[in-house]
Amino acid sequence: MGNAVSSDACPVVLEDVVKRYGTRTALDGVSLTVEPGITGLVGPNGAGKSTLVRTVLGLVRLASGRVRVFGLDPQKSPHQVRQQVGVVPEDESAVPGLTGVGMVRYAARLCGIPAGEALRRAHEVLDWCDAGQERYRPLETFSVGTRQKVAFAAAIVHDPPLIILDEPTNGLDPIERKAMLGRLVTLARDHGKTIFLCTHVLPDVQAICERAIVLAAGRVRLTGTIDELTRPALPMHRVEGTGPLEQLADSLAEAGIAASLVRTSRGPAVEVATPVDADTAAVLRSVCEHARHVGVGVRSFEPAQRPLEEVFIASLREAEAVHSPEVLHAPA
Amino acid sequence: MPLHDVGYRAWKGTRRPPGSAAFVIATTGIALSWKSRWLRRAVLFAWSPALAFAMSFFAFEQAVEEGRLSMLEVTAQSGRNLDGVGVLGGLLVNALGRPTDGEPAYLPGSVEEIEQTRRTVWSRLLLAFMRAPQAVLLAVVIGLVAPTLISRDMRAKAWLVYFTRPVSRRDYILGKGAVLAGVVAMVTLLPALGLWFVGVLVSPSVNVAWATADLPLKVLISSLAVAIPTVLLALAYSAITTETRIAGFAWFATWVACWITHSALGAAELMADRPSPEAQSFFSEPFDGPGEDDRHDRSRPMHWLGRAAGLDSSIDHWAWVSPYHSIGVVQAAIFGMEKRPQAFLPPLISLASISAVSLVLLLRRVDAPLRS
Repeated sequence: MGNAVSSDACPVVLEDVVKRYGTRTALDGVSLTVEPGITGLVGPNGAGKSTLVRTVLGLVRLASGRVRVFGLDPQKSPHQVRQQVGVVPEDESAVPGLTGVGMVRYAARLCGIPAGEALRRAHEVLDWCDAGQERYRPLETFSVGTRQKVAFAAAIVHDPPLIILDEPTNGLDPIERKAMLGRLVTLARDHGKTIFLCTHVLPDVQAICERAIVLAAGRVRLTGTIDELTRPALPMHRVEGTGPLEQLADSLAEAGIAASLVRTSRGPAVEVATPVDADTAAVLRSVCEHARHVGVGVRSFEPAQRPLEEVFIASLREAEAVHSPEVLHAPA
Repeated sequence: MPLHDVGYRAWKGTRRPPGSAAFVIATTGIALSWKSRWLRRAVLFAWSPALAFAMSFFAFEQAVEEGRLSMLEVTAQSGRNLDGVGVLGGLLVNALGRPTDGEPAYLPGSVEEIEQTRRTVWSRLLLAFMRAPQAVLLAVVIGLVAPTLISRDMRAKAWLVYFTRPVSRRDYILGKGAVLAGVVAMVTLLPALGLWFVGVLVSPSVNVAWATADLPLKVLISSLAVAIPTVLLALAYSAITTETRIAGFAWFATWVACWITHSALGAAELMADRPSPEAQSFFSEPFDGPGEDDRHDRSRPMHWLGRAAGLDSSIDHWAWVSPYHSIGVVQAAIFGMEKRPQAFLPPLISLASISAVSLVLLLRRVDAPLRS
């Protein structure tokens, strides 16, 4: 059964994919795997993210390489593949003249859902997306946030196992953004969906993704779990607390424990080196003693992580410097 | 959270087959187009010629029923408004046959002759209806609908709505084409079938329906002959630009420019063929129906309708230049009024070429954004 969707197969597999537009190479030997859960695809403008999405949907002809979506070749079985995929495109795309609920219903019907059922399903999904009464207004009159909600509802209305989102939080206010990310987590965690999130917003990726792929100039530069990617080169733990953290860092350094004061998004913290062979519990005890000595109240002691943004920029710089086509694997 | 929000739920229903996408695109497209007040008005207006033609059907059937077919001819010849419309009277007379000097017109007597006459009259009326008013109105109505169909999708990037879902390029073109085919049906097919039905209703016997059963089929084929080239050409124009206005302008410009070109070439041919004295009396000759060489009738007001009804036996050598005239000649061939291959083959080839080029253009343009 070459045309059958395999539920056991990896949602997306790309092997040595090359795509050229004339003389420009958009994808240059891309190999990657999107596993169940939430995977983030990050990259600068022109990195090839949109081309990669089109490749997965079978919308572009490849120069070489192999693509499989749930075990199917999108070039040979585009209909079966697109039945399994819901896409929120980066560009605002809508059928002029339709209302919000009309658009979602139309999307459902295009995916083969019968007319009456499509309307019921459209309302159900729009309710879940908190679209409210705005759904009855023409699409042209929508705010950016409502448009994103409708686009998202249209992408999931046919209950696809794979959802691809291109910049889904663009133009959303912080509350809406948080709600959107929450929906993605719910779909992945409670409904077993595979989410492929293409975005520039790295904190979003770090917040909800299990894995990330860094794409630049048509090549995969970095790939791995978020934990692997954001782990510091040297094993470290981060101490957060209240009081004179600078004194704590000095005190630890004087005691021969490598420590430094850092600024994080949650405020200042002290990062303490915890070598692989070190007894983490002993280090924690020592930190607590020094903290008590200098008057710092320890709030948390957890493995330190580098911001994904830092990892992303470093990988791009490294790739530019080396001009190497090799994938930079995350530290194991 | 609304009370009726049941959260996200999986959907386990049965999906329709992939080909149904074209139907969904067509029905949604028709519903969206029908929201236009101008389109509704235009379609309503496009039905108005059917009323005039219906009166001709009524007049003919009344004459048959009252046994005064000859009166029909005589009355029309004397210039009276036989059918209440005037111009169609001449059409009926010519359909019945021309009187010769001192002789009465062809007067059908037997049942067979009456049926034969009825077939001829109905065919000519339906052909005139489809060629003359409806073809022009169709160009206007398509001009209101077609330009927005693809160009607006391209401008709004709605192609992503389609091609990220299980919709093929073929489904998309079929769906959009069906929207226009629906318009063609509303403007030409349905009124023409309605006319035939009116003819049956006003005829003396229901058996007339069986005797003229081939006419609805000819109307259907004739509508297809209109629909295929016009729909493809209109969609191609809509696909080459994101500006609806430009697509609309190109559509109307094509019809007008080709019509003018056809008229100019026809006039030039006429002037070249005509001896000088005849040319001088060109505008003064009376309309006397068909003849072996009746090119001199071309300038008469009735000529347009007469030619539309297939009464003009001359070959329109330049019909292939204009889509409107080409469609007319091909429709005449479908109705059996034009049987000379040298007359209908060039327009047929012209329409086939327009259709083929438009289709190729359409196929190339529809997924062009994906390739960029």
